[in-house]
Amino acid sequence: MVIDPITREIMRNALASAADEMALALHRTAYSTIVRDCLDFSTSLCDADGQMIAQGVTIPLHLGAVPSAMEQLLSRFPDRIDPGDVFIMNDPFAGGMHIPDIFIIKPIFWDEVRVGFAVATAHHLDLGGRLPGSSACDNTEIFQDGLRIPWLKLYRRGEADGAIFALIEANIRVPDQTIGDIRAQLAACTIGERAVHELIRRYGLATYRAFTADLIIYTERLMRAEIASWPDGSASFTDYMDSDGVGGPPVPLRVTVTIRGDTLTADFSESAPQVRGALNCTRSYAVSVVALCVRAMLREQVPNSAGIFRPLLVITPPGTIVNAVMPAASSMRGVTGFRLIDAMLGALAQLLPERVPAAGEGGNSLVIIGGRRPTGESYVFFELLAGTWGARPDRDGNDGLCNPANIASNIPIELAECEYPVRIERYGLVQDSGGAGQYRGGLAIERSWRLLGSEANLTIRSDRRAYPPYGLAGGEVGAPSSNVLQRSDAKVSLPTMVATGMMHGELIHHQMPGGGGWGDPLDRDPAAVARDVRDDKVSLAAARVRYGVVLDPTDLTVDLMATTALRAALRAERP
Amino acid sequence: MSATIRIGADVGGTFTDVVLVDGTGQIHTCKLPSTPPNFERAIITAVERLLGAIGAAGEAVAGVAHGTTVATNAVLERRGARTALLTTLGFRDLLELRRVRAPQMYDLFWVKPPPLVERALRLELSERMAADGTPLLPLDENELERVIDQLEREAVESVAVCLLHAYAYPAHERLVGEVLARRLPGVAVSLSHQVLPERREYERSATTAVNAYVQPVMRRYLGDLQASLATAGVAAPLLLMQSSGGLMAAEEAARLPVYALESGPAAGVLAAAVFGQRAGLSELITLDIGGTTAKAALIVGGRPFYSAEYEVGASLSAGNRLVGGGGELIRAPSIDIAEIGAGGGSIAELDAAGGLRVGPRSAGALPGPVCYGRGGTRPTLTDANLLLGLVRPGPIADGQVVINREAAEATVTEQIARPLGIATLEAADGIHRIANAHTLRALRAVSVERGYDPREFTLVAFGGSGPLHAAALARDLGCRRVIIPPSPGLFSAIGLLVSGVERHDVRSCLLIADQGAEDALRAIAADLRSQMLERFAREGFAPELVSLSWSVDARFRGQAHELRIPLPAAPGEHTDALSSDFSAEHLRLYGHADSTTPVELVAVRLVGRTPAPGLELGVGQAVRDSSGERQVYFGQRWGLITTPVVTRTALRQPTNGPLLIDEYDSTIVVPPDARVWLDDLGQVVMELRDGD
Repeated sequence: MVIDPITREIMRNALASAADEMALALHRTAYSTIVRDCLDFSTSLCDADGQMIAQGVTIPLHLGAVPSAMEQLLSRFPDRIDPGDVFIMNDPFAGGMHIPDIFIIKPIFWDEVRVGFAVATAHHLDLGGRLPGSSACDNTEIFQDGLRIPWLKLYRRGEADGAIFALIEANIRVPDQTIGDIRAQLAACTIGERAVHELIRRYGLATYRAFTADLIIYTERLMRAEIASWPDGSASFTDYMDSDGVGGPPVPLRVTVTIRGDTLTADFSESAPQVRGALNCTRSYAVSVVALCVRAMLREQVPNSAGIFRPLLVITPPGTIVNAVMPAASSMRGVTGFRLIDAMLGALAQLLPERVPAAGEGGNSLVIIGGRRPTGESYVFFELLAGTWGARPDRDGNDGLCNPANIASNIPIELAECEYPVRIERYGLVQDSGGAGQYRGGLAIERSWRLLGSEANLTIRSDRRAYPPYGLAGGEVGAPSSNVLQRSDAKVSLPTMVATGMMHGELIHHQMPGGGGWGDPLDRDPAAVARDVRDDKVSLAAARVRYGVVLDPTDLTVDLMATTALRAALRAERP
Repeated sequence: MSATIRIGADVGGTFTDVVLVDGTGQIHTCKLPSTPPNFERAIITAVERLLGAIGAAGEAVAGVAHGTTVATNAVLERRGARTALLTTLGFRDLLELRRVRAPQMYDLFWVKPPPLVERALRLELSERMAADGTPLLPLDENELERVIDQLEREAVESVAVCLLHAYAYPAHERLVGEVLARRLPGVAVSLSHQVLPERREYERSATTAVNAYVQPVMRRYLGDLQASLATAGVAAPLLLMQSSGGLMAAEEAARLPVYALESGPAAGVLAAAVFGQRAGLSELITLDIGGTTAKAALIVGGRPFYSAEYEVGASLSAGNRLVGGGGELIRAPSIDIAEIGAGGGSIAELDAAGGLRVGPRSAGALPGPVCYGRGGTRPTLTDANLLLGLVRPGPIADGQVVINREAAEATVTEQIARPLGIATLEAADGIHRIANAHTLRALRAVSVERGYDPREFTLVAFGGSGPLHAAALARDLGCRRVIIPPSPGLFSAIGLLVSGVERHDVRSCLLIADQGAEDALRAIAADLRSQMLERFAREGFAPELVSLSWSVDARFRGQAHELRIPLPAAPGEHTDALSSDFSAEHLRLYGHADSTTPVELVAVRLVGRTPAPGLELGVGQAVRDSSGERQVYFGQRWGLITTPVVTRTALRQPTNGPLLIDEYDSTIVVPPDARVWLDDLGQVVMELRDGD
C-alpha cells in the first residue's frame, strides 16, 4: 500500500498528538518535582517491531533511548508478549540509561495481534542506593546507584504483580512519590494505547501499518536530504569534564565528526576509558547526543521516528565512557551527555560554522538535599538547575535558560519553602559571568539554600570550573562554576562533584558557569555594551577592560572617541 | 422613556463589530474597519449609526458591554507603560529567568522574549517573610524612600510590587503600596497580593508585571471611550469582558486589566455556551477559525472550561502547553482556548522530502491569499477552499476585495499539484485536509487531553472559516452534530450581550482534607464570601443577586498538579465528600487513583456572578442574495458534485447534503452524508450520518 503525502501528514499529526497527550497525562499526574518541574521524562509510540514512530514533546536526551530498550525487550521476550502485559526496566546494561530512569512499556494489541508499543520513561526521585536521590558522582559501581530492575512483567495479562511493587517499595526512600510516578507512567501508556486504537479504528489496520512503515522511511529521506546539502568534511574536537566524579583527573571527551554524502559519522573512540565515578554512559545515550546535535543543525522539521538514526553512524567502543560495561556506575552520567554535546557542537562548528553557538553552561547542575523531617519521615529535595546559553554567530546567548538538550524548569521558591525544610536566599544572574564577544554569552545563574532542618546529606553535581564553556570565533570563555558552603565559622569551597554533610543553619551557594562568547569582544556594538552596563549585566570596569568601551559613569552614554582609541590600544597589545 | 437598549462592542485589530439589541429584543448589527490607535472612534461611529437607524437617543442605552484587544496588543507590541518591579532582596531576576524553559526544541537560535520590565528597573528591597509569615527581615523604609527617588528619576509610569510569600502575608507589600501612593500619586501601582493572591513567585510576579505594564494604557483608553460615549449621549455604565467570560466594571478593568486580556475569544465561547444551553445542549466543543488561527474550547455542563494560566504571544500548540516559555505568562482565570496556526491565510508548501505542509507560516491579512489579488504569491488554505468550490468567488468586504479563482488555480497547480504529480483539485483537497489535521490537534487538546470523549459533544462553529471546515472536523473528531449560530462572524459581539458581571477570588492554603480542615476552610470561606459580596455591593448588586460558585484545587499529597473540584456549597460544610470527589475525577481523567494517599487542598476559589440578561437571536442579519449552485469537490469519496446554494432563511425544512449555505461573511458546507435544518433559535443544525 502506498501512502500519499496528504494521508501521511494527517496521520503524522494524529500520532504526534497522541505522544503529546501521553506526555501531558504523565506530567499532570506525576508526584515528584523531577517530573513536574524538571520535565525529566519522555513518551513514545513504537510499531509492532519496536521501531519508534512518535515521541512527545519531552526531553531530547531520551531520543536514542527507545531503540535500544526495544531491541533488548524483543530479544528477551521474542514470543512471550501478551495483551495486558506491562514491562518495567531500569538496567543500563539491559537497554536502560541509568538507574533513576524507569522504562514502562505497554504492548498494544488489536484483535489479539500486536500492533505496537507505548513507552513512558521517567527519572525517579529515588530508587534506593547509597545516597538520597540515587545519584552520586562518587558511586563507583552500579550497586551503589540503586535498585537495578531487569526486564520484568509488572502486569501479566492485566494483573498487577504485587511482588514487584512490594520489592521496589521496600528498597527506596520515598515510595509514595516513586510508586505515584510509576502509576503516572502507566496512565500515559494507557492513553497512548487508546490513541493508537482510535487511529486503527478510523483508518484500518492495513493503512495504519503502511503509514508507520512509510513514516520511518520518510523521516530518513528528510534527514538524508539535509545532510547531503552540507559540505563533505571531517573535524575533531575535545572537551573535558573537570573530574571523574571521585576527585580524579580531567576526563577528555573527543569526537570526530565526518560528513560524507548523505551520512554523518560520529566517532568517540578517542574519548576516555570508562571512569571510576558514576559518569559513565550507555551507548544509547551517546546516540541520543548525536541525534540531538544533528537535529539542531537541520532547517526542516523532522518527525521523531526511528528514521532519524538511519543516516547516523555512531562509533562507541565498549569499555569507554560512552559505552560502559559492568559494573560501571552511571547515575550521574547526565553531565557526560552534556559535555558530549559540547564536543559534538565544537566539531560541527568547524563544518557548519554559521549554525553553531559557543558553549552554554554545560548542562544542568544538581543539588540534592536529603534528610529526615521532625516526624522521622524521609525527604529528598532535588534541585536541577537550568543554566544559560552560549552566544550565537549572529546574536547574544539567552541569559538564564535551560540547556537546549533539556527542558528542565526551576522549582518555585515559595513552593519549595512550604514543602521542604530549606530557605532559598538568592536566585538570579551573575554580573560579568557571560563570555565576552561580539555577541555575549549568557550570564550564569546563582542560587543558595539554607538548611532549616537537622543535619542532612548534600550532593552536588556540577562541572566546568577548570574547563569553562568555550567561546567561538574569538569569543571568550564563560565564567567558571563554584560551590561555597557557609559553615558557622567559615566559608568552604566544595569540589564540583561532591557528596557531604550539611548542618542546620548552613548555607550552600552554587554558581553555574556562564555561556561562551562569539566573535571578538572589541567588535561588539558599544550600544549593546552600554545597555548591558545599564542593566548591571556587565560592570563599567569590564566594559572597559574586556570590550574596550568607555562609558560616561553618570549617564552611561558611550564615549565614541575614547572607545575607538581604547580599542585600538587593546588590539595593539595583543600578541 | 426608560433606558432599554443594550450594546455589545467587540473590537479586534481589523474589524469593530457592534451589536445593538433594542427594547423589543430586535438585534441590529454594524461591522466597521477598526480605527487604531483611537479604537473608540469606530465604536462611536457604529453606535451613532445604529442608534440613528432605530431613531433612538443615547439616553435610551441601558448598558454597553465591550471586548477589546487594547491590553493584549500593548503586550504583544511592547507599547505598555514604563514599568518598574520591586522585589525581595536577592530576587531581582525572577521575572527575567521565568521558568527557564524554551518552547522550541532543537532550535539553537531561539530568542527568549525580553522581560516587560528591564533589569535596570527591577529593584530589590531589603525585606523577607518566611513561608509561615515570620518577618525574618523587616522592611527597610529608609531604603524604600531611596528606591522611590530612583523611580522618580527614571520617570516610571507604573510600578509592580511582588515580594516573597505576599500571597498570604502581604504586610510588607501593603506598606510599600502606601508609601508609593503617598510619594508618587500619579503613578499606577500593582501589588501582587491584590492582583493574584496565589503561591508561586514567578507566576505572581509575571501576572503583576503584565497588569502594571498595561494599566496606564487601559486606564487612558477606557477614559477616552467613556468620554466619547458621553459625548454621544450614552451615559450608561461601561462593562468589560474578562478572559473568564464574565463582565467587569470599567473602573475595575482600569485597576486590574490583566483579567481582561483575552476578552474577544472568551465572548464567542460564552455565546456558544448560552445559546447551546437554550437549545438544550450543554456539552459542546467550540471552533472559531479566522484568518490566521483556529481556536477551540470546551463547554461541559453548560459552562466553558477554565484554564488557570496562559501565555500571551506564545503559540498554543499542545507541546508548547506542556513546556511553555514562549510568551508572557498570565495566571488569571480564563476560558481555556487552544489555538493553532491554521487559518484561511495559512501557507501550503512542499518540504525537501516532498511532504506537503500547511502553516504555520501565514500570509496574514496582507498580502493575504493569492485569490485576493493583493500581492499574495503563496497558495493558502483560502485559495484551496476556493478551488474546492467552498468559497464564493466575486467581491467581498463591500467590494474592496474581489476573489479571483484563476490566480489561485495557477498557484496551487504550479507550487503543489505539479511537483506532487497530482491533479489540482486533489492538491486543494489535500491542503484542506491537512489544515483540518492541524485544527484537529487544537480540538483534541481541549477534549481528549482533558479526558473527555468528543463523541459525546456537539461542535459549534463560528468565525469566518469555521462553518467551512466544521462538518469534516466533526467527522474526524467523532462528533455527530454540528451547530452554526446566526451571524457566525459577529458571534463574539453577541456574546457580550449574554454575560453577567463576574468576579474571581482565590486563597492559597495547604490543608489535608478530612483531617480537621473544616475550621480553617470555614474561616477562608467566610473571608472570601464577605469580600466578594462587599465588592459587588459597591457596584450596586445586592447579595441576593450574586450567585456564588465554590471550588478547591486539590491533589494527592506530594503530587505536582492540582485538579479543580467544584463544590456544591462553601468549603468547610461538606468536606466528607471532597476526597472521594477528587479521587473520582482523578480516576476519570487519568485512569488511576490512589485512595490511600491523603488529599491535599492548596487553594480555595470563589466565583461570584450576577444573572445574565436574556437575548433572542432570530436568524441574524439579512443574508446577501445567494442562490443557484456551485461545483464542489467533496474529496475522493464523492468527487465533484453540482451543489445547490441556499441562504439560511431558505432552509425551511430538514434537507440532505450536499448543500452550501451562503452567509454574509461565511459559507456553511454540508457534505453529502449530512442532513441540515434550522432550529427555533435560528441556528443551523447539521447531523452527520453514521458510516464513513
